[in-house]
Amino acid sequence: MKRALLAALLLLLGACASFPENPHLEHYAKDAGYRFERLQHAGNSDSLFVIVTFSGGGTRAAALAYGVLEALRDTSIEWQGHRESLLDEVDVISSISGGSFPAAYYALRGRKTFDEFPDKFLYRPIQDDLLRLALTPTNWFRLAAPSFGRSDLAAEFYDREVFGGGTYADVIARNRRPFVVLNATDMTTGAQFPFIQDEFDLLCSDLAGVPLARAAASSSAFPGGLTALTFRNYAGSCGYRQPAWVTHAADDHDSRVNARRTARAETRLSLAAPGPARPYLHLTDGGVADNIGLRGPLEAIASVDHPWSVLRLINGKKVDRLVVIVVNAATRPATERDKSASVPGLVDTLTTAATVPLDNYSFDTVELLGKTLEEFNADARLVEGCNRLSAAKGEQCALRLRSPHKVGVYPVQVAFEYITGREERDWFRNLPTSFKLPPATIDRLRAVGRRLLAEDPQFKNLLQALHGCLAPQGGAC
Amino acid sequence: MEHVIVTFPTRRLVYIDDEENGYTNEVLRVDAGTHVFTLGNLANFRPASRTVTVKGSSVLEPLEIKFLRKEGA
Repeated sequence: MKRALLAALLLLLGACASFPENPHLEHYAKDAGYRFERLQHAGNSDSLFVIVTFSGGGTRAAALAYGVLEALRDTSIEWQGHRESLLDEVDVISSISGGSFPAAYYALRGRKTFDEFPDKFLYRPIQDDLLRLALTPTNWFRLAAPSFGRSDLAAEFYDREVFGGGTYADVIARNRRPFVVLNATDMTTGAQFPFIQDEFDLLCSDLAGVPLARAAASSSAFPGGLTALTFRNYAGSCGYRQPAWVTHAADDHDSRVNARRTARAETRLSLAAPGPARPYLHLTDGGVADNIGLRGPLEAIASVDHPWSVLRLINGKKVDRLVVIVVNAATRPATERDKSASVPGLVDTLTTAATVPLDNYSFDTVELLGKTLEEFNADARLVEGCNRLSAAKGEQCALRLRSPHKVGVYPVQVAFEYITGREERDWFRNLPTSFKLPPATIDRLRAVGRRLLAEDPQFKNLLQALHGCLAPQGGAC
Repeated sequence: MEHVIVTFPTRRLVYIDDEENGYTNEVLRVDAGTHVFTLGNLANFRPASRTVTVKGSSVLEPLEIKFLRKEGA
């Protein structure tokens, strides 16, 4: 009888389990919340503008990203008359999935990350912890509830064990750059969903009350292994008004003058539709929309309408050098598939379908970054060339064309594909995507992140331009 | 990337879609599409704003968006 009562009680508790709701925003305020322009510079100049992106890839991605963070800390540069660490000039970090853990931790704890993060996350067998939680009978009842999934359980764990209950209110209170953008994917639209107040404004929700753990769990909710996370949408209840550009960009739909900008506007209108039209949002792994976290930065560089537009700063002549460091932990595991005539199985086919398009898309995104940044140089060079050629024909022929603001650009890539030795490259490319890796593997990932950064030709150009030096591991410049 | 030049007799802040975006009489970069241009500081200019669809410009031939000084201002 007692057992039956206990079981009934557990079932009842299970039925009550639900996701923790993101808080409602009473009144929209453009000058409040987690926004790029609200963060204090604290010695971080705009003139050297540094964006870093961390890709997905579980602990492999987290360790590679962490190795790059360490290397940036140990890179000494000369800028505006004094020497400083390049890490102190990082303005924005955009992250996906596994890369979101070091990013979120750095947003919360700053340089204390280097003392705390390795034990809290990197070297910890998180995967075993998550599995143990899922196998705990009391959690079975909670997981049986329709609005509580395995990722909610994981978020509770990250909140307790990794982020110590930290929320965006704590990040806002730190009030320092970099602006850290954790990215998930809106399952319905397939659009990237960044955890910034500008996006939460659309939902009339206050990001300040959202735990970092929930943002990291959304960003890393790997489809299949982990469930999507649910967020409440209170759209239409806080007096929010879309920025001026949204209506104009949506009106451009028929002329197709800028389809990407129109699509961004339409996504915003769909999320903010009063009613709300979509009372709940389901967020899955950020890698579904963009596995390297570069789409947001690309839009910020190429659009005056982005919530943290870099182009606006460039137009205002505030940026002289623009550095974009892409840390990509993508792998290319070896396969025995083509050694046999057998038809590939369902799991193999589905895994291929889920990962190969993403890798191709990532390649195209990096290419687009190179082209976009090159445009800044090309247009200024063209004007200079025309002025020079016309002036050579005589004073009367001199054109004196005006040039847009000239920006030095440095697209830097840290990726396993740039490892020179084939054997070593293949070893890294065959690492699994998991939240548990052997300590020696994590050590190697940290070291290779540092080395690949040091070897990148554009990073070398940057160091030369800034009289910089990346100290060897454990050494000094 | 598109290029525009917002002209006015003196140097003034340029606002594109309600956000600061450099100064008048300089070549500015914008993404293609319809934008609202206006000037900052004093309201001694006309028109009050200009809504322009920017496309097909180049750095050698930026699209000119003209503001004039208001008579008597």
